Amino acid sequence: MTEPILPAWSEPFVEGRRSALDRLRPISAVDRELVFGGSDGAGVTVAIIDSGVDGAHPAVGGRLVASVKVELGEDGPVVVDDPERLDVVGHGTACAGIIHALAPAADLVSVRVLGPDNRGKGAIFAAGLEWAIEHGATVVNLSLSSRSEALTGAFHELADRAYFANVLLVCAANNVPGPSYPSLFASVVSVAAHDVPDAWTWYYNPRPPVEFGARGVDVEVAWRDGGRIVATGNSFAAPHIAGLAALIRGKHPGASPFEVKTMLAATADR
Amino acid sequence: MTREERLLRAIGLRAEAARRLEGSTAGAVLRSVVEATVALFDAEAASIALYDAVTGRLVFEVAAGEQGQGVIGLSIAPDQGIAGYTFTTGQALAVSDVEHDARFGRATAERTGYVPRSIVAVPLLDDHGTIGVLQVLDKRSAAAFSLRDVELAGVFARQASVAIRASRVERDTAALLVATLRRLAAPGAETTGSPAEAGPAADGDPAADDAAIENLVARATVDLGRDDDSGLWRLADRVARLRDTDPASVDLLADLLDVLVARSERERARRRGRAGGAGRFSALDDDA
Repeated sequence: MTEPILPAWSEPFVEGRRSALDRLRPISAVDRELVFGGSDGAGVTVAIIDSGVDGAHPAVGGRLVASVKVELGEDGPVVVDDPERLDVVGHGTACAGIIHALAPAADLVSVRVLGPDNRGKGAIFAAGLEWAIEHGATVVNLSLSSRSEALTGAFHELADRAYFANVLLVCAANNVPGPSYPSLFASVVSVAAHDVPDAWTWYYNPRPPVEFGARGVDVEVAWRDGGRIVATGNSFAAPHIAGLAALIRGKHPGASPFEVKTMLAATADR
Repeated sequence: MTREERLLRAIGLRAEAARRLEGSTAGAVLRSVVEATVALFDAEAASIALYDAVTGRLVFEVAAGEQGQGVIGLSIAPDQGIAGYTFTTGQALAVSDVEHDARFGRATAERTGYVPRSIVAVPLLDDHGTIGVLQVLDKRSAAAFSLRDVELAGVFARQASVAIRASRVERDTAALLVATLRRLAAPGAETTGSPAEAGPAADGDPAADDAAIENLVARATVDLGRDDDSGLWRLADRVARLRDTDPASVDLLADLLDVLVARSERERARRRGRAGGAGRFSALDDDA
């Protein structure tokens, strides 16, 4: 099979293709020392909208400060406290571990949106996102998306609300054709995986929809029951960018989402 | 029989034949997708699980590969495990070193008799969201799946999604047939002469309407599905049973059917010549 397989959101970031990412950079005086130097993410709250986070996992370093879950009630989704701090899959814990490894002093908040019931999951995602925006998170990691046309408007409104509330949404790109929200909205940071085994290597793609490539291949990640596995996927690339964004927000608390995105682009590998 | 009833009978006959062959259409394509997946990845197993809205669970419908058969018929909660995660989030995922996850390994081994080292899971999507998950277990040539593998699995998942959509169209056709029957059975339909012109009854006794519908449907579809010695049903049943046969036998069957069709057309032409031009439903009338 020699034909390229589309849509391959990761395609621009793999070896042999990366030279196409070279461009004249509009901002050259920004370096990584200026953007990240000395930051450990202190004072920043990162929300992880996922399968839950195992707060006791060593990879999370005790930084899980709150856990909630979204349930589908009679009148729609409701956000309730999640005292069990469960992660039935391991995926949310994996994301938390990646963010904690990059930004060890950042506070982590888990928003569990995987319920046992498939009904209205798009509405559950939206409710979880809304809760995160309204409860002090300034970086939100979303390794999931919805294809529901009916909820496009709701997600767009939430993405805009996050943007104007200075909340940065970091979304994993979906390796599937057709629209998926909110990862393809202009106001969010969309991320696909590259194959360089280094958390501090990331690329900026001037040809959207997917703007950033971060580590996402054969990543050793935390998993459920205190375990670890090796995993591949765009959903592990997103938390790498979320971790870097937490560092930027820690050092530049006043930076708006577009300024954080600009700093990520200006300091990307070339 | 009125013209409408003959038309209904023709539609009903085709719908019944499609119903008998269903399962084999979508099922055969799904099976061929997992078989091709196993062959291309040189994997131990590949499987497709579909969401069952009635039970609210993900059900493993088809599987291929030496280690795949144990999973068929199993169901899992749609938020459990790697397949559940991919189903709920729509995110493709590959993991390796799975056996280090003790709980995963034990639970899986108890149910399927096989513990994979590595898994790739990709969503099956339609226009509204995720409808299932394609999983590939253990590539023999490598310890883990690459990003390329994840995207390749996505291509196979799209094939499966197309097959599922086609089978749903088939099912919708049956629903359309029932709706058409109801329209035709409405009072006045028989006098208008054309199904397209037959509108629903503006007024009238609902009980009488129902009786009229029942009457018309019964007359148009009498004996359609009976398990008698009708050659057509014997053929349909045999073709349906062949879904599990190996490809060589299916090719042979296709050749035989071609001969049969050619022979039947010659016979029909001969009879038509003798009868001096039969009506357009002659073949169906012969069968009834």
